[in-house]
Amino acid sequence: MTFLGIHPIALAITAGIAGALLITPAIFITLEKAGKLSPALRADLWTRYKSWLILAPLMILPLLAGRVPAVVGVAVLAALCYREFARATGLFREHLVSALVSVGGLLLSFAILDNWLGFFDALESLIVSLIVIFSLFSDQPKGYIQRVALGVLAFMLFGVSLGHFSYLANDRLGPPLQISILLCVELNDVFAYCTGKTFGRRKLSPNTSPNKTIGGALGAMVLTTALFATLVHFILRDTPIDQPIHLITLGVLLSLTGQWGDLVMSSIKRDLGIKDMAATIPGHGGLLDRFDSLIFVGPALFHYLFYFGGITLDTPARVFTGH
Amino acid sequence: MDEWRYQPAGDLHLKPTESLRSLHREAGLIAGITQTAWRALVRTYLRGYHRLRVEGIEHLPAKPPFVMIANHASHLDALVLASAMPWRLRRSVFPIAAGDVFFETPAVALFSAMMLNALPMWRKRCGSHAMQELRERLIEGPSIYILFPEGTRSRDGSMGRFKPGLGMIVAGSPVPVVPCHLEGAFAASPPGARIPRPLPMRLRIGPALTFAEAGNDRTGWQEITTRLEAAVTALRDGSR
Repeated sequence: MTFLGIHPIALAITAGIAGALLITPAIFITLEKAGKLSPALRADLWTRYKSWLILAPLMILPLLAGRVPAVVGVAVLAALCYREFARATGLFREHLVSALVSVGGLLLSFAILDNWLGFFDALESLIVSLIVIFSLFSDQPKGYIQRVALGVLAFMLFGVSLGHFSYLANDRLGPPLQISILLCVELNDVFAYCTGKTFGRRKLSPNTSPNKTIGGALGAMVLTTALFATLVHFILRDTPIDQPIHLITLGVLLSLTGQWGDLVMSSIKRDLGIKDMAATIPGHGGLLDRFDSLIFVGPALFHYLFYFGGITLDTPARVFTGH
Repeated sequence: MDEWRYQPAGDLHLKPTESLRSLHREAGLIAGITQTAWRALVRTYLRGYHRLRVEGIEHLPAKPPFVMIANHASHLDALVLASAMPWRLRRSVFPIAAGDVFFETPAVALFSAMMLNALPMWRKRCGSHAMQELRERLIEGPSIYILFPEGTRSRDGSMGRFKPGLGMIVAGSPVPVVPCHLEGAFAASPPGARIPRPLPMRLRIGPALTFAEAGNDRTGWQEITTRLEAAVTALRDGSR
């Protein structure tokens, strides 16, 4: 039951998202007729909706289109996230560090496309060393630690961590996994918001992100775990992962790392004293404000799935550099 | 021990199209690369095709902020002045360009921002507020401005009267203003000419003037304008 060689779960999620985007205007209009929307809320909802209309296909189509478009798509996303981070922290003024992070990102993408896990791992320490060492050569010790630390942090967050998400594309079941992860990470935020409104009393982290509640966090964990475990059960059937203990662990990992990613970016924004990372997406702020929760999901799930045999990275190893 | 100090980009919360036209725009890696490539191209062109000669380079201050001014006879002028700047100062240089020409459409604005690193001056509403913003960017940047006080290109090759707007940017500040005179640009690229002619050009850079004592008022601005106009005229007449 495949269409154009696309996995049925990937297809089902895509159809579900397309359907949701189609009926959303009807819901808005109904709410509006019932007089439940203030003009400001109405304008905000429509702006956000229009942004999703562009964002959703941009995210999903490359993942469906095959291994190369998927890796390129995530690399572009990572580059744009780095750009926002660099402009928000002031790191963008350090062209050398920016150049090294960019070269590191390109090499990581090459390692992923080549399916060369050894090189991917090697780059983590090599690029970090290069950032630390090359920053010496300007002979400007003032601000050295800050420059280097911001560069290393950016490379780890947007290069290495998002790179792990990208690396899943080297598995036959990569596309449905990646699309499920994206869906669940985004819904994780929505679940936290909704259950937080209903059950949330105690604040989760009042200094970092005052609107989050413990109730919301737990609610999201339950709902996201249920959804992600179900999806993974259908995707990774007949693999060693398809057992309740693994499926639940994966769901909890996704929900936790997703929420932590969100908190990490909130913490960074608080420290910088800014509300949004940029004004890239109307109604949402920057791309990073939208994709912050995806950052840590990649490494956690990749290594869990790889260790327990859920994915085997069955693309031929070293596609370009092999013999 | 110093605390870490973060300084987000001045145009962080602007939409991409607004950011191109903003006086708070700051170049990152990509703009740095495109501007450097453009600079190399323009320098080669000016030195080869127009056999550009630069005299008095020693008069340029060692570091920003400062303002470079000259007579204005062609679209090549800002390119000549920018290309005369030493390599280490290249990232601080901002030609001040007419908003209604260089920032009107998004495509042209993209070119002006990514290649020229130009900042817009809107001729129809260049009131004291706009001048104040330019002044802040100049001093706090710190930046180097390339500016043509005539306000427009000469239609016949002769130098027009200087406008007092420049006074509002530097009056009462220690920022040096470097007067320059560019010779041959009008003949090489008169208004309306599509392709520049391969004629020689010569840029003379004069000693910098400062206006820390000049009042930031009408009298002060006029005094600054008169002195700078005289300095550029003197360079033109060759009596430095």
